[in-house]
Amino acid sequence: MTILEAARKLNAEVIVEGDAVANSIRHVVASDLMSDVLLVDDEDILLLTSLASDQVLRTAHIIGAVGVIVVNGKSLPTSMVQVARDLGITLIKSDKNKFDACIAVHKALESA
Amino acid sequence: MKLGELVRQAGLEVLALPDGGAEIYNGYTSDLLSDVMGHCPENSILITVQNHKNTVAVSTLAGVQAILVVHNRSIPDEMLALANREKVALLRTTFDQFTISCRIGALLGASSF
Amino acid sequence: MSDLPKSYVSEPRLNGEGTEQPAEPLVLIEMIQRLKVRDVMTSKLVTVVRASPLREVQSLMKAKRISGVPVEEGGRFLGLVTINDILRALEGGYIDETCQKHMSTKLVVLEDDMPLSFALRYFENYHYGRFPVINREQKLVGIICQRDINRALLLELANELNRLESEWVLSKATAQPYNLYVLREFPVSKYDFENAGKAANKIKQILQEKKFPPKIIRRIAVAAYELEINLCVHSDGGSLSWQISNGRVEIIATDSGPGIFDLEWACKDGNSTANEWIRSFGFGAGMGLVNVKRVADEFEIESTVDVGTRVKAVIYIDAKLKDEI
Repeated sequence: MTILEAARKLNAEVIVEGDAVANSIRHVVASDLMSDVLLVDDEDILLLTSLASDQVLRTAHIIGAVGVIVVNGKSLPTSMVQVARDLGITLIKSDKNKFDACIAVHKALESA
Repeated sequence: MKLGELVRQAGLEVLALPDGGAEIYNGYTSDLLSDVMGHCPENSILITVQNHKNTVAVSTLAGVQAILVVHNRSIPDEMLALANREKVALLRTTFDQFTISCRIGALLGASSF
Repeated sequence: MSDLPKSYVSEPRLNGEGTEQPAEPLVLIEMIQRLKVRDVMTSKLVTVVRASPLREVQSLMKAKRISGVPVEEGGRFLGLVTINDILRALEGGYIDETCQKHMSTKLVVLEDDMPLSFALRYFENYHYGRFPVINREQKLVGIICQRDINRALLLELANELNRLESEWVLSKATAQPYNLYVLREFPVSKYDFENAGKAANKIKQILQEKKFPPKIIRRIAVAAYELEINLCVHSDGGSLSWQISNGRVEIIATDSGPGIFDLEWACKDGNSTANEWIRSFGFGAGMGLVNVKRVADEFEIESTVDVGTRVKAVIYIDAKLKDEI
């Protein structure tokens, strides 16, 4: 399942389409702590987070994440959107809280 | 679902369990304490990697029944002591936030589509 | 950082008189160790025989612009006539006598597969202008003199510079002449969250362009990012620099304060001096330095309270290097 497909299943809004938009999601990380995220060794990660900051995208770039879904319906600052464009990372916004988003993504992955 | 039952079925490690009969209606996954304070529903289990006493303090304000620390992170004595004092359950799992959220979600039968 | 105890600085080299010299930059050291005597020596040799008169040596030296002529017969290396020998012969009036009578036979020779670093020590210790070079079979294969070394190093340096990035910063160049090899240096300001992480992203992009292996890129990027965030979140401001040279990537984070009081504590998982505001950004979990250690092949940290901190992480690109350690 790609990140765009995940967004569709979650009824989430795609803000920026990044470079890895066609990659399959292989691993999901749900964290708001950047250092926690940086400990992950896997590839093709989908990052679910409540944090709406530029650093989320910078961290996502460092770990080669496929994209980021910001939960809790947080409005995304323009700088964050710009950084997503600059780094070529897919940025999606969801109204669900992270717990519900995890379940929804899980269900979507299972049925993919 | 009763907390004791949830702990058992999810295979969670217990560090403090003042009331196994407490009803858990929701799960909440967050590492941002400000977010927990603002949005965490009552009677929930908080799934987080934040293993320090501030998590307990915020949990009591937000009506969290149990804190579930992920990644098998070590629990500082201060955190455990405060959890006992405030009667907040303190649990731990080796899994990460995503995996355990899905597991608990399935157990709670949450279907929020 | 003159307050740092000597043990944190790399070992100084001693010259012949036993006085200390400052530590040399990485690129030069690597070159000196990598190059062999045979890569640098003159191998097209002009030789004479024992019966040759010194006058013949004199004209050879003039014609070929050399300062030493080996005496060789039937493949056997017998001695060396140097320019000093010729000068003495001219002064002493015996320039027409044979080499056999006046050549140097007690010779210090070098072997052709010795690293250049060895040769340099010989030059330092013996103060000869040149050394004959023999191979494993004890056959004379060349002569090496200071000029050969200078020429070779200059050539290698020029090649090395071409291989490095076209855009490079000489930071505080007058104060620190050894920064020649710095590829990039990024300033990081305190609490500048708008820019925090930009350097690490840039480094990753460059590594991707250069088609480094993905797993190596990940480790380098993580180390750079963690160190950069540390600078932003914990320091009074500083810089993140990185360089690639011959199989290793070095990332160095230096700042001008406040310094770490307890290094051991700081490097432990979960320990952090971050306040709530920083935690709300998603940082300050105390995993930064631990994570850098985890991904790096070499890790060094030194700090002095009220002066500053310096962290260095090295990641080997060349898998072979790892086996050699």
